[in-house]
Amino acid sequence: MIYLAKEDIKHTLGKFIVTAMGVGMLLGIVLIMMGVYRGMIANANVVLNDLNVDLWVVQENTLGPFAEASRIPEDLKYTIKSKEGIDKSEAITFQNLQLPIAGSHLGVMAIGYDVYGDINPINPNRLIAGRILNNNHYEIVVSDKTQYKLNDKIKLGRNFYTVVGITHGTVTSGGDPLVYISLQDAKELQFTYSNKRIQTDRARGIVNKDSHLVNAVIATLKPGYDADKVAADIRHWQHKSVYTKAQQEYVLTKFVVEKASKQIGLFTVILVGVSTIIIALIIYTMTLEKMKEISIMKLIGLPNSIIIRMIIEETLLLGFLAFVFGNIFSHLIYSKFPKNVLLEIQDAWLLFGIVILMSTIASFIGVKKVINADPSAAVGG
Amino acid sequence: MKQEIAIKVVSLNKHFGADDTLVDVIHDANFEVYKGELVALIAPSGAGKTTLLMMLGCVDAPSAGKIWLGEQKVYDNKWITKETRKIRREKIGFIFQAHYLIPFLNIMDNLILLPQTNKVNETEAKQKARELLQYFDIAEKEEAMPSQLSGGQNQRVAIARALMNNPEIILADEPTAALDMSRSTDVVMMLKKIAKEQNVAIIMVTHDDRMLQYCNRVMKIQDKKVVFETSNQ
Repeated sequence: MIYLAKEDIKHTLGKFIVTAMGVGMLLGIVLIMMGVYRGMIANANVVLNDLNVDLWVVQENTLGPFAEASRIPEDLKYTIKSKEGIDKSEAITFQNLQLPIAGSHLGVMAIGYDVYGDINPINPNRLIAGRILNNNHYEIVVSDKTQYKLNDKIKLGRNFYTVVGITHGTVTSGGDPLVYISLQDAKELQFTYSNKRIQTDRARGIVNKDSHLVNAVIATLKPGYDADKVAADIRHWQHKSVYTKAQQEYVLTKFVVEKASKQIGLFTVILVGVSTIIIALIIYTMTLEKMKEISIMKLIGLPNSIIIRMIIEETLLLGFLAFVFGNIFSHLIYSKFPKNVLLEIQDAWLLFGIVILMSTIASFIGVKKVINADPSAAVGG
Repeated sequence: MKQEIAIKVVSLNKHFGADDTLVDVIHDANFEVYKGELVALIAPSGAGKTTLLMMLGCVDAPSAGKIWLGEQKVYDNKWITKETRKIRREKIGFIFQAHYLIPFLNIMDNLILLPQTNKVNETEAKQKARELLQYFDIAEKEEAMPSQLSGGQNQRVAIARALMNNPEIILADEPTAALDMSRSTDVVMMLKKIAKEQNVAIIMVTHDDRMLQYCNRVMKIQDKKVVFETSNQ
């Protein structure tokens, strides 16, 4: 049996491949968009998963440090630790910094934690060089995305910090790299004013005091205690907002990542729509180019089913090849994106299903042309 | 010897439009075409040659009348069967002004496409195709693409394609229009030979009066009537 689609494609192989590559690049961008979304969700959970604490105590009526400003006294950690059911409790700070890099700056998020405390936010599995912080001052652990190397000196505020460790895969929900400093240094960077500011404040009668504010107190529970119950107890007596790990995850995905993910989702839907229209137009053009042959085939008696099969097979093959090229393209370029792009197999399968569906829909336009083709158009030149 | 009827037409009418815009093209046509003869169909442009050809080829429906192809009545004020394409596939061969071979199929595939659709065994179809290519003196071209053949060679392949389904009727729409005098004569002589040897009725639309001498009969559309002008043989 002659496979018309195979013979037709063989006849215009170069054109067909280039067309599939073009559509493939579009599908590759769709995959990248899906990867960006996955990356955002994964990034949003990096800090939460690395800390792996049960409770987040933050300023009353705030959503916590990932969503809005939160300031609470550092010594609250002792009060929290004394609560029934609490195993460990530590103060923690989060602040955005600009690291100087080769004459420019790189935005990072600095996590300040008690170097001698019970909870360490640095996941040892992510540490690819050096060590965690050992000293309370002027040491820093950076993400490999910052390009810093061990023993590099970084000027932050008034002091120089030595890079003692390098981590991999440590980013915020926005894709900014994470760095880790001691709680003492973090408080100094966040709450100590410049000499000029202190001078001005004194002139205005404002007395500068040492700050003992942090952004959150985190805590783990003893086995057998219910996080929601302990959280309710702290809320009641301490007048603070308290979130369990699940609630904090919800805050991150709902309030921090949701808008961005909706935007990306919309872009993805639009791109899929554009790809469908492009495939449909390509098939329409390919069918138009063959109208004379289609009329002849109908005139000499070939059933519609054989001609329609040719159109559908060509469309599906175009979609499949575009999908393959799209995968290759996305894997070639995803690492060049500044933010984390997570290409997952289930997304590829989902796109494959969408591509097959959209190719089938796109083929209808060619099939309609075939059905409406007038066999007598073959006669009369 | 009694001639076998290939096409019989009774009270055939074709008009386009209705009421004030009604245009009569063929009016009360009655004729027979026999197997083994080459009939020329002539008429001025727009007189309805192609329309008549399309009705006989079961492509366009007449407005009224009856048509038989061989023993089979195919039209009696309506198509007898919905499967008009099957009738074309099994009974009729078409030849066009240009060769209109499928450009993405090689010569062999162009020839066996229709028989394969008719469920003819591939080996058998290829055997038949090779015989025809031999007959038309282009046996060595079976693997070539249409774009690699000359215009004359392609037209011969097109004629071979029309013969692949052992048709009872061949409808040729100006098959010599794109050819010079010498090649036109070759093609018409070839058609006449095929008509006789394969016992096929061939109706050939032509504008070239010089070709009429090679035809058995000349059918003419004159004032919407179908008339036979002369008999050469």
